[in-house]
Amino acid sequence: MLSWLVDPWTWGAWMWRGMLSVTLVAVACAVLGVFLYLRRMSLVADALAHVALPGIVAAFLISGSLSAPVMLFGAALTGLLATVGIETLSRRPNIRPDAAIGIVFTAMFAAGVILLSTRVQDAHIDTHCLLFGDVLGVSDRSIWLLAFVTPLVLVLVAVFYRWLSASSFDPGFAKSLGIPVAAVHYGLMTAVSLTTVASFEAVGAILVIALIIVPAATAHRLSDRLHLMLAFAVAHGVVSATVGMYVAIWIDSSAAGAIVVTGGLIYAAVFLFGPRHGLVFSPGRHCGQGLGPEASSINALEG
Amino acid sequence: MNAIVAIDTSIYAQRAAEFFSFRYAFALEALGASILVGAICALVGTFLVLRGMSLIGDATGHATLPGVCVAFLLVGAKSMGALLAGALVSALAAALLIGVISRGPRTRPDAAIGIVLSVFFGFGIVLLSYIQNSPTGAQSGLGGFLFGNAAGISRDQLIALLATSLGLGALVGVFYRPLKLTVFDEGFARSIGIPTSLVQMALLSALAVCVVISIQAVGVVLVAAMLIIPPSAALFLSKRLGHVLLFAMLVGAVSGALGAFLSYMAEGVATGPAMVLVAAALFLGALFFGPRGGVVPSWVRRASSARAIAARRGG
Repeated sequence: MLSWLVDPWTWGAWMWRGMLSVTLVAVACAVLGVFLYLRRMSLVADALAHVALPGIVAAFLISGSLSAPVMLFGAALTGLLATVGIETLSRRPNIRPDAAIGIVFTAMFAAGVILLSTRVQDAHIDTHCLLFGDVLGVSDRSIWLLAFVTPLVLVLVAVFYRWLSASSFDPGFAKSLGIPVAAVHYGLMTAVSLTTVASFEAVGAILVIALIIVPAATAHRLSDRLHLMLAFAVAHGVVSATVGMYVAIWIDSSAAGAIVVTGGLIYAAVFLFGPRHGLVFSPGRHCGQGLGPEASSINALEG
Repeated sequence: MNAIVAIDTSIYAQRAAEFFSFRYAFALEALGASILVGAICALVGTFLVLRGMSLIGDATGHATLPGVCVAFLLVGAKSMGALLAGALVSALAAALLIGVISRGPRTRPDAAIGIVLSVFFGFGIVLLSYIQNSPTGAQSGLGGFLFGNAAGISRDQLIALLATSLGLGALVGVFYRPLKLTVFDEGFARSIGIPTSLVQMALLSALAVCVVISIQAVGVVLVAAMLIIPPSAALFLSKRLGHVLLFAMLVGAVSGALGAFLSYMAEGVATGPAMVLVAAALFLGALFFGPRGGVVPSWVRRASSARAIAARRGG
């Protein structure tokens, strides 16, 4: 009866490798996503994921190699370029921040797509794979990259936990404590760029956004406390990765897409039936009365 | 080496001559469709950008993919009308869902946009891969929707595109005043009796229609760029809404025309990315030299006023 759960694992190494890589991707993305969410920068993740594509392609064209350091360097560079570009544009009075995001990443992404389709006639870069990922055919290089990046992200978050949480909740207060807020900001952006590159081969440029945004949004509906939010986000990421993989195998479809859809369904379930803030099971509580002191301080910061 | 370059340029010259001789109907239709799409996206996009809804356009664009795929699965064959109807339904659903989620107590509007965008697109990718893995779907040509293929637009489709664009343009003309008031001062608009939530709904519907008629030419991934970049460029050129709309449509139309031309000239370049790059180049021009808040004019103004102050102090 449980054969459909066990069988895929016996069909070959690809299941083990695929599951390992999506789990690593999901964990790193979920952790970073919580901090981006708290900073109201979820859509910057959207931008960074898109601009990693021109970074990788340009790095490949210049160096002629697809080794991990080259890819990481290229994507980190375009990520920083995009962050600086978005901030510079937003500072001009007639451009809103959301328009700035939209201008910078679409233009850079378009450049990446054109470079990819004209200059790269090499079997090593597959357009479809870079954009939408290929979990089941993930390469050794990609697994090693993930095995390096995910622990690195976790260690960095653990080491800088206080700085990150203080500057995410209240940048002004953090600055007054002597925390280098700007450095933390750029560090976080670089970490997001590196994670998107490492995730590229497994889930692709566009779907990695879902793995960054949706777990954090789900976790915020379940808890107000940062460490619980992180735990819920990671749990959401790992569960949707696992279930999504099985769904993809059963219906023979894109694994990354199935993972994203599973994550979206979990979010929808929590949105409707969440224990504290769901629309269905918490009558009268979804007007703000049910929020604890911490939540109201978060809401005050949002305003 | 020189010989290769010579051959290359002669091929390009030949292709350019081919394109401008308008001997091939499909090139002409691609050109017309791209110009129309550039202009209509800029028209609708100006209101979105002014209202701070730029990225809702991005989400709506990505969200059309599952609709296209579901329609393909239901109809079975590639009937463009059915595909676009599917796209319209899922674009509208996405726009409504963003509203519902971001009005909820515990999700931030930016995250709501990101959730809808990525989950709809993920669902679209699942369906697309399912279709392409099935025996009938391999040649479905749905892949063209990702980055656009203006050359695939037929004369009938061009006429439908023209009619829809004119309809949208006429609606904007008729409801210009309520739109303008809602965009600039929602509170005031409501106080004088304009149903602003209705205007908002109308704007979202216009966005959905605009995205749907554009995806054949620019693709679902980059349609947002044509909604955001031309209006942002036009905002450096004028203060008056009427002029901004005209400039935005001009920038959009020029990007469409040059984009279609470039994608015809260069092998393997999809129409969407080419249009977006032209628009981005025009935007950079406006950013640096635009009379209203452009980098160079404001620098000149600052320098000359500093000089005037220094002169007055000296005298």
